[in-house]
This record gives sequence, C-alpha cells and structure tokens, in this order.
Amino acid sequence: MTTLEEVFAHRRDHVLVPLAERIEDYLKELFTGFLRIDRISARAKSVDRFMGKAKKLDNGKAKYDDPLNQIQDQVGARIVTFYVSDVERVRAEIEKYFKYIESQKIVPESASEFGYEGRHFILFVPTELLDDALSGDESVEFFELQIKTLFQHAWSEAEHDLGYKPSTKLTHDQKRRLAFTAAQAWGADQIFDEMFTQTTQGTPE
Amino acid sequence: MPLPSQKPTAVSAAKIEIDTIHSFLIHPGKGAESPHDINGAAVPKSGKLFTMLQPIFDGAAEDCQHNIAFNAQNGQQKNECRDALITYIKNRDINQGREIAKRLQAVTTHRSGLGLLFLITGEDKGEIKIVVSRFPADSGVLAEEKGKGLTVEFLERIFMKSAKSYKAALYSGKSFSKDFWRGQAADKQVNSAESVIADYWIREFLMSDFLTPGEAGTRRFAIAVRETMNRSTEPEVKQDIVAMQALMGKMPAQAGVSAKKLLDQFHVPEETQEQIKDRFRGAKSFEETFTFVPNEFAKFVHMRTTELDNGALLTAPTERFDQVFTREPVGTAPGLFRFSTQGRIIDQRFRKVKP
Repeated sequence: MTTLEEVFAHRRDHVLVPLAERIEDYLKELFTGFLRIDRISARAKSVDRFMGKAKKLDNGKAKYDDPLNQIQDQVGARIVTFYVSDVERVRAEIEKYFKYIESQKIVPESASEFGYEGRHFILFVPTELLDDALSGDESVEFFELQIKTLFQHAWSEAEHDLGYKPSTKLTHDQKRRLAFTAAQAWGADQIFDEMFTQTTQGTPE
Repeated sequence: MPLPSQKPTAVSAAKIEIDTIHSFLIHPGKGAESPHDINGAAVPKSGKLFTMLQPIFDGAAEDCQHNIAFNAQNGQQKNECRDALITYIKNRDINQGREIAKRLQAVTTHRSGLGLLFLITGEDKGEIKIVVSRFPADSGVLAEEKGKGLTVEFLERIFMKSAKSYKAALYSGKSFSKDFWRGQAADKQVNSAESVIADYWIREFLMSDFLTPGEAGTRRFAIAVRETMNRSTEPEVKQDIVAMQALMGKMPAQAGVSAKKLLDQFHVPEETQEQIKDRFRGAKSFEETFTFVPNEFAKFVHMRTTELDNGALLTAPTERFDQVFTREPVGTAPGLFRFSTQGRIIDQRFRKVKP
C-alpha cells in the first residue's frame, strides 16, 4: 500500500511536470506578439503544497475526500500583464481559445479590504496536450490559470511566501501591514492603468 | 492506494454491463404554459427492447463522435444539466430521471416533435457509464397476416434509431469531481448548414458546447496547414494547399467539422492529408469536432498576390512575401518597381486568360 504523498510524487514526475511544460509552450505560442505581457509560466504543484492542501480542514472535517481528483490546480499557469486593462484583454483571449469550467474575478469581499486579487480560470487541458497513452486514473482533466498584473503578481508571491511559513503565524499588526502593501499595489495598478489610457488615448482637458 | 504504473497504460476498454434503463415520452414543451405530464417506465434487462438498446450502450463511444463539455454557469463550476445527470446516476431512480426528461421537454419544439428518451446506465469496478439518447417519433404501417387475409393499420408513434435524427450523449468516469464534465455526443444533423439541431441537443438540453472552442480548433488546423505549406518539399502538396486555401477563403462559419472532415470536404488528396495530419500534436485532435471560424483560419493561412501592369502575377505566403520578393524603385518614376527573386523551378502552369 502506497501513501497519497507517494502517489502524487509519482504523478508529479511522470504526468504533471511534462504537462506543465506543454501548457507553458502552448500559452507562449498563443500569446506570441500579444503586447504588454511580462511573463507566462506553468508549473506542477510541489508535493509539499499538494499535501498541505490535501490535508486542509473545513469545519473540522477533511475538505477533500479524494484529493487526487478534487484538487484542480495540480498544474498551475500564470500570465502576468503590465496593466489592469490588459488582464481583461487576456481574459477575453483565453475564453476564446479554451473551454473552462470556472472563470472568476477574485477581489476582497468588502470595499474596505485589500488583499489577493486576480482573474482565475479552471480550464480543460487542450486535447492536443493530453497524453493519449495515459489511463483515466492518471490523466489530468483541468489546470488552473491565473491572470495578474505585475503588482498583483509581486504582492501574491511575497504574501504566499510570508503567510505559508510553517514556523510562524502572522500577528495582527503584520496582517495589517500586509493589507497595506496590497492597498499600495492596488493603487499603483490604478494609477498605471490611468496613465496608460491617457498616454494612448489622449489626456482629457 | 495503488501506484500508477511507471509506463503509461492504455485506456481500459473493459465492457460495462447495463444495470438500469429508464424511458420517458417527451412531448414538445418549449415555451408551453402547461407542459404535458411526462410518463416514464423502467425497461427490463431482457427481451427485444433490451436487445435493441444494448448495442447503443456498447457502441456509444464509437457512435458519439463529438467531444463536448458542460458549460460553466455564471463563471461558476455549476451546470444544471450536469447536476441533474449526477443526481440521477447516484440514485438511478425513475423520479430523478424524470427531472432530466423535463429538461429535454422544456427545449423540445414542435419541429423536433415527439421523442422517446432513454437513460441507460452501467457500472463496473467504480467506472460509471451513462448513455442518454433520444429517438424521434415516426409513422408507419403495420401489416398483419391472418390466415389468408391481411390487415393493415396506420401507426403514429413508432420510435426509431433514425440515421437522420438520432441523438445521444455518453458520459463515463469514476469521480464526480473530475469526470462527467466532458462527454461525447452524437447528433446526426449537426453537419447541416444551420446548426439549429446542435443548438437544441448540445447547447440547450445538455447545456454544453464542443470541448474545443471554434477559434482553438480552427487555429490548430490552420497552423498545421501553414506548416505543411512551408515545409513540404513536394510541389503537388503545395498546390493542393493553395487550391484549398482559395476555396476556404469563401467558406462561412460551420459547426461540427473536424480537420479530417474539412480536408475530405475539399477533396484534398490522401498524401497531402497525411502530411497535414503529421503536423497535429495528437491523432485524436485531427478528428476532433469544432466550429470552423473563417477569420481565425485567415490569420494563419493566406497568400498574397501582387499583379503588375506588365501582366506579371507574384504569389507567395503573406508572411514571407517580402522575403521571397525583393522590391526596389526604378528611377524616379512614381509607382514603378522592379521585383526580383531566386529559386529552383518546381512547377510551371499555363492558364487561359480572357482575351
């Protein structure tokens, strides 16, 4: 009997890592010549992060009873754009070329909150990227795609690194500081997008 | 928990036996204020009807050629038809099946007419398979011999697996989280110029669409054609593609096509088809259904022709035209250019021109 961790590690090496490479190449090819894209990347979820998510509790009960099939971001891709309006342009392109089962604009719940933002998709893996030789149990049906601005990307990377340190739990003051940086990133995005619009469409009198 | 094999294994082709069949009579009910009651029945697992339905269940993977997937509703991982299907699969109860039948009735027009819906389910080692199929009503004549006599009777409600309007959908899998989002559909009229039938069965009833969006399928096909054009060393292949491109330039959007069907439709020779097929990343995607989008095709496959007033016609793929032909102004005369190119002659053709 092998453990969930061993099964995922095997799947990661033999299925997810090669698939992530194919997805990254596919996205890069699709967005060749598309303006104001900073980077496109795709990666297989690490074993540690998968196990961390698989063990999550929801109201005291395990959130996932079949994590290998329920966790949909085993392959995650990200497209980073310069400006907020570029996120919408990329979104429209993605919805034209991919079949999705989820398309969500992630924003904080209340107007006075600042935090994680971005556009998230759960997309079907395009048919030509699937490995026909894999059995149904091993195959991957979906991957997650995030579209973020440079500031959203920078903030979420740092927040993820700080917030997921196993040895420390952020204090109330540290959480407020983190929210402050999110507000700054949000403000920077608004100003850059306004300036971009003004410089390309003319400044109002 | 079993560890997947080191080498990928082929998809299991184990035969799944039928364990439940429910049937419902569907009256047209689209826009109806008081829809007809839906009567249903369980079909026994023996007898002539079962014998007729079994090949439909067993052969659904081959019969249902179009890859489809449920649409997300409001961007959420939710689809009412999928929910109804999963609830039915979990219970295999006639009342849950009636909920699916109600959905079909609500989108059935008088043009589609009366139909008989079958829900056929089987399960083996955790793998669940369901086939949803609709037989249209037809009319016919029953002739019965009695001794030396013959009686004939007109029958109105005969349900047949008609080659012209039979519809089916197949879903299978083990996980309600991962599986049962994609499926396969058969719609014998989907290739008609109007896609009304596809809309009725796939979009309205199943709340689905082709798994590969039109732009993606067209792009994949166009890139394969362009790559073949650019890399093939055989002049006949290039000629075939130029001819096909000229015809496809005038083609409207068309639902339910595949790369294979398009090439057949334009009578592209086998050798050229093989070279185009080789440019696809997977054999399955060569035969996968999508909606052809003319503008998307034109982005990748287009030839530029420049005609000069001396009778010359210069033609090359648009993206390479300026590399193939060098253009330089001649003297100071406005609009006068000298074009030059070099290469080996691989073909010459003579055409009639109007005097």
